[in-house]
Amino acid sequence: MAQLPDIDFTLEYPYTRTTGPIIGPFLTGLRDGRILGTRVGDRVICPPLEYDPADGSTVGPENLVEVGPAGTVEGWTWVAEPTSKHPFDRPFAFAQIRLDGADTTMLHAVDAGSIDNMSTGMRVVVRFNDERVGSVTDVYFVPGEDAPDAPSVDADAEPVGIMEHLIGVRIREPLQPFRKRFLEGLLQKKIIGQRSPADGKVHVPSRGYDAINRVPMTEDDDVEVSGRGTVTSYTEITPIQYHGQTETEPYIRCSVLLDGADTTIGGVDIRDIPIEEFKVGMRLQIVWRDDISFDDEDNRAYGLNESVYERWERTGEPDVDPDLVKEHNF
Amino acid sequence: MAFEPQENDIAIVGVAQTAAHARFDGPEVVLIMECVNRLLGDAGIERDDVGFTIAGSCDYLSGMPFAFVSNVDGMGAWPPVYESHVEMDGAWALFEAWLRLQMGDIDVAMVVGSGKSSPCNAREVFHLQADPYVVAPLGLDPDALAGIQARALIDAGKATEADIADVVARSRAAAAANPNAQVAGSVSIDELLAAPYDMAPLRAHDVSPKADGAAALLIARRDRARELTDNPVWITGLDHRIESHHAGLRDLTDSESTRLAAAGAGVADGAVDVAELHTTHAHEEIILRAALGLGDDTQINPSGGPLAGDPVMATGLTRIIEVAKRIAAGDASRGVAHAASGAALQQNLVCVLQEGA
Amino acid sequence: MARPCAVVGIGQTKYKRQLPVTLDGLVREAALQALEDANLTFADIDAVVIGKAPDALEGVVMPELSLADALGAVGKPIHRVHTAGSVGASTAISAAVLVESGRYDTVLTVTYEKQSEGNATWALSGGRSGGQGAGGTFAPWIREYIRRSKAPEHIGWKVAVKDRLNALKNPNAHLHLEDISIEKVKESPMLWDPIHFLESCPSSDGAAAMVLTSEDKVSRSPNKPAWVLGHAKRTEFSTFPGRDTIRIQAGLDCAEALYKKVGITDPRKQIDAAELYVPFSWYEPMWLEGHLIAEEGEGWKMTDEGATEIGGDFPVNCSGGVLSSNPIGASGMIRCLEAANQVRGTAGDYQVDGAKVALGHAYGGAAQYFAMWIVSSELQPDFT
Repeated sequence: MAQLPDIDFTLEYPYTRTTGPIIGPFLTGLRDGRILGTRVGDRVICPPLEYDPADGSTVGPENLVEVGPAGTVEGWTWVAEPTSKHPFDRPFAFAQIRLDGADTTMLHAVDAGSIDNMSTGMRVVVRFNDERVGSVTDVYFVPGEDAPDAPSVDADAEPVGIMEHLIGVRIREPLQPFRKRFLEGLLQKKIIGQRSPADGKVHVPSRGYDAINRVPMTEDDDVEVSGRGTVTSYTEITPIQYHGQTETEPYIRCSVLLDGADTTIGGVDIRDIPIEEFKVGMRLQIVWRDDISFDDEDNRAYGLNESVYERWERTGEPDVDPDLVKEHNF
Repeated sequence: MAFEPQENDIAIVGVAQTAAHARFDGPEVVLIMECVNRLLGDAGIERDDVGFTIAGSCDYLSGMPFAFVSNVDGMGAWPPVYESHVEMDGAWALFEAWLRLQMGDIDVAMVVGSGKSSPCNAREVFHLQADPYVVAPLGLDPDALAGIQARALIDAGKATEADIADVVARSRAAAAANPNAQVAGSVSIDELLAAPYDMAPLRAHDVSPKADGAAALLIARRDRARELTDNPVWITGLDHRIESHHAGLRDLTDSESTRLAAAGAGVADGAVDVAELHTTHAHEEIILRAALGLGDDTQINPSGGPLAGDPVMATGLTRIIEVAKRIAAGDASRGVAHAASGAALQQNLVCVLQEGA
Repeated sequence: MARPCAVVGIGQTKYKRQLPVTLDGLVREAALQALEDANLTFADIDAVVIGKAPDALEGVVMPELSLADALGAVGKPIHRVHTAGSVGASTAISAAVLVESGRYDTVLTVTYEKQSEGNATWALSGGRSGGQGAGGTFAPWIREYIRRSKAPEHIGWKVAVKDRLNALKNPNAHLHLEDISIEKVKESPMLWDPIHFLESCPSSDGAAAMVLTSEDKVSRSPNKPAWVLGHAKRTEFSTFPGRDTIRIQAGLDCAEALYKKVGITDPRKQIDAAELYVPFSWYEPMWLEGHLIAEEGEGWKMTDEGATEIGGDFPVNCSGGVLSSNPIGASGMIRCLEAANQVRGTAGDYQVDGAKVALGHAYGGAAQYFAMWIVSSELQPDFT
């Protein structure tokens, strides 16, 4: 029997942020080898803000001034075990750095080699990465005051208007027990639901509880239902393209009320029945795959979907009156 | 002096919480259901006796952008209910419910906080709270900013590493009496100081252990509260404030927003027997004590606090429950509960609870 | 006891596919405009209430934290609401509660979405392939509405055209489709049968803001107030056996509670303008019925007769509605503030003459969250 691994996926998207009148020039500056702050009243704020933090009034780009490249560490912590989100894969410091010419501190990373090289009040200086895209990660700091070599700058490059940030959050979790039993059932070509101990309604697939009666359900409540049922709702989807989407052609997505169940299974995708013939009330039955396996990369999707069925075919029975299934229109 | 509630005063009339599970193997909904069923059962009321329901949670913990929608399954919403949701700790849901009841037309509200954080790495999620342009891309998470804050406290002479370890030792000792705690037991300051640094000067044990859990409470207007319980716990003050997001614009060794919220909630209007503080990093207790003006005669985190178990998004609401339980049981007559949000105590809520007929 | 609350300031950005500003800049534009309208500054604000749809749309967790400074909230309470698509209206209601409770005199409320930073269909699908989007959820229900009500298919096209023609009068609207026509709608690609591309809302960036204040502080602001006569919210489960997804109980209950609170007995007659959350054209007749404005099965006839056009007896979405601008988290608040614009007489070219009572509405999730409010030019309008 195929294995059922833990749920493990990364919710990931390459976000694009427009950078506006202050952050845009700041990031452009980092790309082009200088650090900018804003003069607000009698102080210089770095990193710059679009407003005066004292009263919220707007601060325009005419107030941008250059600061650094060296500064003083006013606070710090030592990151003993960097994560994949950090700028270094070796231990380093995050520090509050007050750049020369600024009155406030900036949070950034110091590549100091050892915690023993860090102290409050120490001097640090910026270093520019060879590859710079207009991001706060274009630079880092090192102990000392030696000004960096002027980085090579593409004089024709456009100012930074958009910054990208690839954000990924990894989610790992053992399959919850009710879900594991459901999936194990599918591997044996059985559809396992749960019968509510409160009102006898059969939930397929179950979510492990009956919300109407507010009762959790256990293994004792498991019941097998038929692989045959009635279409209760459908639409034809023309896939919108987005990050991670693999569908390209239109297909029917429907919900089916399996015989013996009181909740519908959603997300049943039909690719070989013409839309003109498809309707609510149509009787369908599952055609299992010979080789059911759950091996797609994103295993959250494991369930009663195309990893377990070849297709759903018409049973040949007469259609059911749509009024009889209108309360299952999901 | 006992508190004399007026018609418009609101009391906590029931509380429920799950254990702080290192990993709960069922759905978050079941954690919520457990609390809601216990609350309604204890109060002897039906779901539709509750006029307003409000929950706090965070979609990102489960990696599902509309996760809060299914949480409604645990709270009950058939027949339909008057309900809302804050993407904040459940303590802020209490804030809105408390205001809503003061409008007078509804007399009972239910407040829920819940989170299942075990599937994610909290640092990975919560570094996304930071300024999205100049901080978040560095991966600078709340634990790192807490490390910077703890260092600032030490540099300013307001605490030592031993003081920070002392907070952990007291938390674990107190948690021994808390069946819901995740970490408990006797540990010496020397043992704690011998552990390696994580975000120096913090060590792994200085950071709250993230947990799966839920908490819920029922509140009611005065006359209804008296019908529902013999031991109403009155909310005599509730306020919350935020301070600058930008660490460079703050004095990290102080919590001005806590000070303002404490004044708004009237903390100084009487003796404080007990305080439960939302300390997800040990050194925060030292800052909060000062900002709240708490002296040595106030018992701090008798439940063990978040350092003994941190059911993210229910942790703040749990502080309120822990204080309310002690007042309802007669172990304290006046207490302060604190909830926090954001890195380095950026946002703080203060709730004053009091006994009274 | 509850005290009266009024809208005294309104601010909106232009709605666009991509606005070249930061999140700070986005919310500030709407907030500063609302403050200016109210003749107030950040210093006059006692609390801030913000709302938006899921954090994953921009990849910023709990954005009230990083936006607090930009919204002048430092040292104040800032409260964050999230109730899916209904969030904009829920946020307005939460802000009203702060004032009505008697605890806060003047509240700034701001909602926004910057859809161009991420992708809503991606987020709705939890980052997986095969996401059906909101349209995929609602299409079967729309088909069932058509089946039950026997509405002719042109009703959806008609709403799509009407709202886009209204949008031409609204400089903030995202879509300005000068050449919109029934033919164009009908011939546009079918996205989720029976929903055509032009029967669907756009994906927008934008922010909306309001200043709400208590009765005794209304006179600080020079422009006409819109009194919040009442609000209601209802929620039901997304799926359960027996759920009617066409005539939705939570929607009926929400409307009933609202009308009762305000003293409305005949909504079609007593409400002068409505801003209903219509992200797909068919939801206009569906909500007319679903919120007790039309009898069951009769909503589409109001649309067909032109009753919902500007100049009709029950104008709906004079601003162009969600079909013309959809910064998701703000869309519900835009409905609420456009209702306020109508009763303040500040709706410009899409003003309904003499509007005194207006409805703002939003729904969310699997059509399971409802939030509605009614505003009026008068604190105690005469409904007789």
